[in-house]
Amino acid sequence: MEQSGKIGKEKLSCRGITKSFSSSSGNFEVLHDLTFDVYENEFLVLFGPGQCGKTTLLYMLAGLEECTEGEVFHNGEPVTGPAPSRAVVYQTMALFPWMTVWDNVSFSQKVRKAEKKVIAERTQYFIDLVGLTGFEKSYPVQLSGGMKQRVGIARAYCSDPDVLLMDEPFGHLDAQTRYMMQESLGKIWENEKRTIVFVTNNIEEALYLADRIILLSDCPSQIKKEYRITLPRPRSLVSPEFLKLRKEITEQMNMSD
Amino acid sequence: MRHNYGKIRVVLYGAGTFLVLLSLWQIAAMTSNSEIGFPTPVAVIGRFFHMLSNKVGSYTIWGHTLWSLSRVVIGYLLACVLGVVLGLTMGWFPYVKALFKPVFDLLRPIAPLAWIPLAILWFGIGEKYKYFLIFIAAFVPFTLNSYAGAVRVDRQLIGAARMLGASHSQVFFRIVVPSAVPSIFSGAQVALSNAWMTMLAAEMVRSSEGIGWLIIAGQGINDMTQMIAGMLAIGIVGFLLANGMRLLERRCLVWNNQGK
Ligand SMILES: Nc1ncnc2c1ncn2[C@@H]1O[C@H](COP(=O)(O)OP(=O)(O)OP(=O)(O)O)[C@@H](O)[C@H]1O
Ligand SMILES: [Mg+2]
Repeated sequence: MEQSGKIGKEKLSCRGITKSFSSSSGNFEVLHDLTFDVYENEFLVLFGPGQCGKTTLLYMLAGLEECTEGEVFHNGEPVTGPAPSRAVVYQTMALFPWMTVWDNVSFSQKVRKAEKKVIAERTQYFIDLVGLTGFEKSYPVQLSGGMKQRVGIARAYCSDPDVLLMDEPFGHLDAQTRYMMQESLGKIWENEKRTIVFVTNNIEEALYLADRIILLSDCPSQIKKEYRITLPRPRSLVSPEFLKLRKEITEQMNMSD
Repeated sequence: MRHNYGKIRVVLYGAGTFLVLLSLWQIAAMTSNSEIGFPTPVAVIGRFFHMLSNKVGSYTIWGHTLWSLSRVVIGYLLACVLGVVLGLTMGWFPYVKALFKPVFDLLRPIAPLAWIPLAILWFGIGEKYKYFLIFIAAFVPFTLNSYAGAVRVDRQLIGAARMLGASHSQVFFRIVVPSAVPSIFSGAQVALSNAWMTMLAAEMVRSSEGIGWLIIAGQGINDMTQMIAGMLAIGIVGFLLANGMRLLERRCLVWNNQGK
């Protein structure tokens, strides 16, 4: 099950990226010398324990955080700041609270001054895709956690990004909703193939969604191991292969280096 | 059902306190044997209704109230526009802050009333000096709260907007400004009560109409009933203004209110 051969061309390339935060008590290294690629239309899961620097890593891919050392490339160009070609779905959702669902989802198109008709069609398409039809005029406060996260996903998709970066988007949801959301994200991705980097600390979620899993170690994070997941989709959470992989990865994660 | 019942009870309690106080006042006024005759609440309310259709000076109490309101509205709107613009830009653009924040911080603690003599010298005793004082009174809370709103904007939302392709000016107008609105509204409440109070002071110092004048004129002819009726008008209009503002806030901030 080890990684072998790539599936498309490289979209994102991380070359020796290291991140440390300086504080009064000295430097605190969060990520140590990570090198990996993300390939076109791949669903890559970054899987690691809590507080290991997953969000930090994703923000560096997005250009929202600077690398202390090393570099991130997107289609061969160095990443120097946030750009619409790399859309983020935030762990905290970060919806614009004063905007309705419609305005949140269409934001990227409006600031780009797209044609009115294009904006309307695109926005409706992605609202329908994530199953929020009928809630266009609702404000985020009026929605449940799962629905808010759908808005976040639709908003990211609607900006027509080259790469989607998702930071534990289902982390705050109850088990039932979480499972439903994983299922529908899987479907959305099959309908609208994109390169997705998905962060999680939930092994079932990782195995359910991933083409490839990169296992991160505790802080300072390094790549522990990579797994290519070839189970047929949609995946069953109880098939023997699934359970075997789940056991293998869990054991690997808990093994001290 | 239960909820409604509770609401009615709250209103009844409030009304009860009112009635008890008015009765005490009535009894005290009727039994008092002090030299200056103290008016009873019945007399005050009677005079108030009388003034609704009969002139005191050149206007009925409606006219006086409209004069006062017009002064407040003009000074207040001017303060709103300039205060919000200055506050938001100071909160978001470092060079605007560097230019204006020190001057603003120095002038801010000077009470509006301290400006009265200067204002009269500069603008004369007409309307302009009143607009100026009310402007000062409302400008400070508008600026302060707009500034605080812009400073406290959620950095993650800024990042999200940039990531979605917003330019610097779009970030300001579409993210910073709307997220400061709740803070601006709480400034607007303070500014309104400041403006209302300062208007009275300005009218009491120099004017020939308005509620402030009504009270001062009552003092001039030792008419306590007229003074208290004027105070009643202040209370009623102030109450209506504050509640109108609250209503407007609730309508404008649907997105912010649901959780509460
Ligand atoms: N701006 C910052 N300044 C200082 N330290 C930071 C900063 N951002 C993150 N950290 C620290 O870096 C470490 C990793 O944080 P990060 O949020 O990336 O982890 P995570 O894996 O996403 O955690 P979680 O599982 O809770 O989402 C934490 O210890 C955090 O305190
Ligand atoms: Mg995180």
